[in-house]
Amino acid sequence: MTRLFSLIACVLFAISPNSFSVTPAEAVAKAVLLEDKTDEQVALIQSVAPDQALIDLLTLWKEGGIFLLEVPDHAKTPVRLDDTKDSDEKQGALLLSGQPFTDAAGKQVRLLASDLNAAETDSDLRTAMKSILDLAGLAAPDRQARLQAVETLGMGQDPTRLPALRVRLSKETDAEILSVIKEAIALTELKTEDPETIVAACRALGNLGSIRSQDALKAIAKSSGATARAAQEALRKIEQHLVTVNTWGTLFRGLSLGSVLLVAALGLAVTFGLMGVINMAHGEMIAIGAYTTYVVQCIFGPGLELSPFGLHISFPSLKATGWLYDSYFIIAIPLSFLTAALAGIALERCVIRFLYRRPLESLLATWGVSLVLQQLFRLTFGANNVQVSSPRWLSGHWTFNDVSLGWNRVFVIGFAVAIVVGVFLLLARTPLGLLIRAVMQNRSMAACMGVRTERVNLLTFGLGSGLAGLAGAFLSQIGNVGPSLGQSYIVDAFMTVVVGGVGSLFGTIFSALGIGMADQSLQQILGNPVLGKILVLAGIILFLQWRPAGLFVTRSRSLDN
Amino acid sequence: MKLINKSAQALLALTSMAFTHTASAADTVKVGVLHSLSGTMAISETSLRDVLLYTFDEINAKGGVMGKKIEPVVVDGASNWPLFAEKAKQLLEKDKAAVVFGCWTSVSRKSVLPVFEKNNGLLFYPVQYEGEEESKNVFYTAEAVNQQATPAVDYMLDKKKEKYYLLGSDYVYPQTTNLVLLEYLLSKGVPIENIGGGFKKDSSGKIISAGKYTPFGHTDYQQIVAEIKQFSAGGKACVINTLNGDTNVPFFKEYAAAGLTAESCPVVSFSISEDEFRALPAKQLVGQLGCWTYFQSIKSDANKAFVSSFQKWLKETKVDGVKKEGRVTCSPMVLSYDGVYLWKAAVEKAGSFDVDKVRVALQSGLSFDGPGGKVTTQKNMHLTKNVFIGETKADGQFKILKEYKDVFGQPWLKGTFKAK
Repeated sequence: MTRLFSLIACVLFAISPNSFSVTPAEAVAKAVLLEDKTDEQVALIQSVAPDQALIDLLTLWKEGGIFLLEVPDHAKTPVRLDDTKDSDEKQGALLLSGQPFTDAAGKQVRLLASDLNAAETDSDLRTAMKSILDLAGLAAPDRQARLQAVETLGMGQDPTRLPALRVRLSKETDAEILSVIKEAIALTELKTEDPETIVAACRALGNLGSIRSQDALKAIAKSSGATARAAQEALRKIEQHLVTVNTWGTLFRGLSLGSVLLVAALGLAVTFGLMGVINMAHGEMIAIGAYTTYVVQCIFGPGLELSPFGLHISFPSLKATGWLYDSYFIIAIPLSFLTAALAGIALERCVIRFLYRRPLESLLATWGVSLVLQQLFRLTFGANNVQVSSPRWLSGHWTFNDVSLGWNRVFVIGFAVAIVVGVFLLLARTPLGLLIRAVMQNRSMAACMGVRTERVNLLTFGLGSGLAGLAGAFLSQIGNVGPSLGQSYIVDAFMTVVVGGVGSLFGTIFSALGIGMADQSLQQILGNPVLGKILVLAGIILFLQWRPAGLFVTRSRSLDN
Repeated sequence: MKLINKSAQALLALTSMAFTHTASAADTVKVGVLHSLSGTMAISETSLRDVLLYTFDEINAKGGVMGKKIEPVVVDGASNWPLFAEKAKQLLEKDKAAVVFGCWTSVSRKSVLPVFEKNNGLLFYPVQYEGEEESKNVFYTAEAVNQQATPAVDYMLDKKKEKYYLLGSDYVYPQTTNLVLLEYLLSKGVPIENIGGGFKKDSSGKIISAGKYTPFGHTDYQQIVAEIKQFSAGGKACVINTLNGDTNVPFFKEYAAAGLTAESCPVVSFSISEDEFRALPAKQLVGQLGCWTYFQSIKSDANKAFVSSFQKWLKETKVDGVKKEGRVTCSPMVLSYDGVYLWKAAVEKAGSFDVDKVRVALQSGLSFDGPGGKVTTQKNMHLTKNVFIGETKADGQFKILKEYKDVFGQPWLKGTFKAK
């Protein structure tokens, strides 16, 4: 009888998920080996007491640091790598328990990380891992990790997590996290039974302007009684808060769209606005900048092989990682300017200099050049888009009072300001700027005064093209890089310059910001991206009927006109 | 005299040409391939041309169809819809193609449809489409809405998602699919306020468009992503994405920059397959979902054999313009492949290349064990097949999460789901 009992106990012990005799390392190793059986994996990792060892292992697994090793004549083994790298970049293999993984001779196996298959995870498993990590993350030293942990716990609305959240509330010092903890507690309290707690929670959520709680509050507001009234009141407050958030959000998005337009159009404001060349190849100058960024990225990363026209061009690889790789973009910006400027100078020498007095023909010629360049991109880089990845410092975001400010968007605003200031200083404060202005106002007169107009034309066109290249470098961060990249911006660029007033840089600035703001506000109000754009275009047509010369009319005494 | 001599020579040359032609016609059968090999759609459609040529070579190596070798006639639709109709006419009237494999976009299919109906031709159409069409001259190996969109929604419902944001490119496929999905979601008890993206109603108050639409080549997704962020703030939300082609890049870049992830608000995409991945930033899409009737990562022997022999063919082929490196297989390619074999089976069953007889054979429920599993033809000229839900990995492949076995293709779905 006792034997039977002990047998049952044994079986129970073996299958019981709560058996604490399993160490985190054993559980995780077992879970990794289960591969596709997600449900069992989830059960396994939830069965272990969450200590630091488990947290470290799960984090490692989630980030692809646990590998499934397949050695001949050996069962599959989950391993991780230690920190010792030898000259071949190989690292020592460790079992998940931390002991070295040895071969038959008892020597530690050394492996190359890039040769190994990382143990896979899928969304269910990651969600389960995340909930374990979040609970542990409440006390994480890293601010961002703590913030995320609290947010997820709040959205889970699990009343059993309340004590943990309250403990954190008493310890937390960071103001933003404090308010998120309060929100999480109130959100979770909505799921409790006590009506008074719910009413208080509703009030708290309303005062916090908690967007996250809207769905939960709406469910309560449909019922009746004091809780429903409290929920309705809270929803009204949140609605008010949303109006503010959306207004500021729209302003920011308008500013950033305006900056994108400005960056794309500034080069054209120089070549078309100042020089009067209807430069249809402006878009392709943007594309040259974007492709330069791509090439620089490839040099920092895996290297690049190109074979246009049967030629074989090979770019070396720096194999950079981490912050060094992320800095590729800093290098790419000036290089984009240079490449595009050189291309622009070549274009000026070969085509445009013959056409200064024939603007309509410059339109046709540059359009032809743009087609040639597009085909050139196709032959060199392929018809497919190429992948440009954003450096980490451009791919995050700030949330300020629920308005989310993407770093790339903040960056473009700063970038636009920097370029505008740069161009202004160049034109207004340097001898070259003086010559540019003189030639642009009256080419023949300037020539008579001894200005080498040919050279000034060349440099001005180079400057305009270089600015387009800068635009390309940035646009590669928010959109596609492909042979037809230029085509999607050329119309917007011309529109911006024409509305601003041909010949006026300030006009371009104002019109870019104006169009950006109008576009985003209309999108927000109408809720339809296409209709917004149509209205903006219609508005521009009417505006140009009223002021054909644009916002800022350049008056000159030039005999050319 | 000289003139007569010359014309006699020409006549002789002509007759001899005609003779050689009839001689070769005796042991070959002409098959049309109608895809865009230039223009915007070329990126996707060239892959289908490649896989079709591969399939013909494979069949020819094993003796052809009823003892006749397949002779492909490849024409270029050039992403130009009226040109598609002209080329179709050429294939049917001049080349007398026994069958045509082709078209990608719904508009190209709609444009060739009258030509096929007039000449009683047969077209095999391989790419997911919006349904609401059934012609006796088209065999749809393509995924119907209930073989891609509704299973994907089923999966999200399984995952306890309560809010659905519909986003797509502004053309017939996303518009129709989202209308069907709206009806489907309502029939599953999802309240209308939990469906995001906005609605357009006609004067009688009937919803004629559901979801948010952007034109091809749209670049600014700030506002839409901000809206999704608020929509999904409470959790339990997902995005149903029918954006086409490269507009996905600015969308997913903005999505990632706003801090939205596959864990906080997953995106299910219907137009991103392994082939499209070659031009997308895979890093930003990791963990997002896809739904197709085939994934390259299917672990069956049939699929392994298919993938490796297609790769081998790519290396060896002498056909002009076939890209040899970095190639993958995807659902439209496999459905093209399945289509050829189904046509072969139908011809052999009918014992004839005659379109009417082949159609009867096709409608009789033929089966073929393809790379994506068994497919069976239906009376309504659609295909019963398996449907897979997959999760994107960093290498551009999918990890298969769920399989729906033998889903019957139903083209007429609009109005069939009743709201609870």
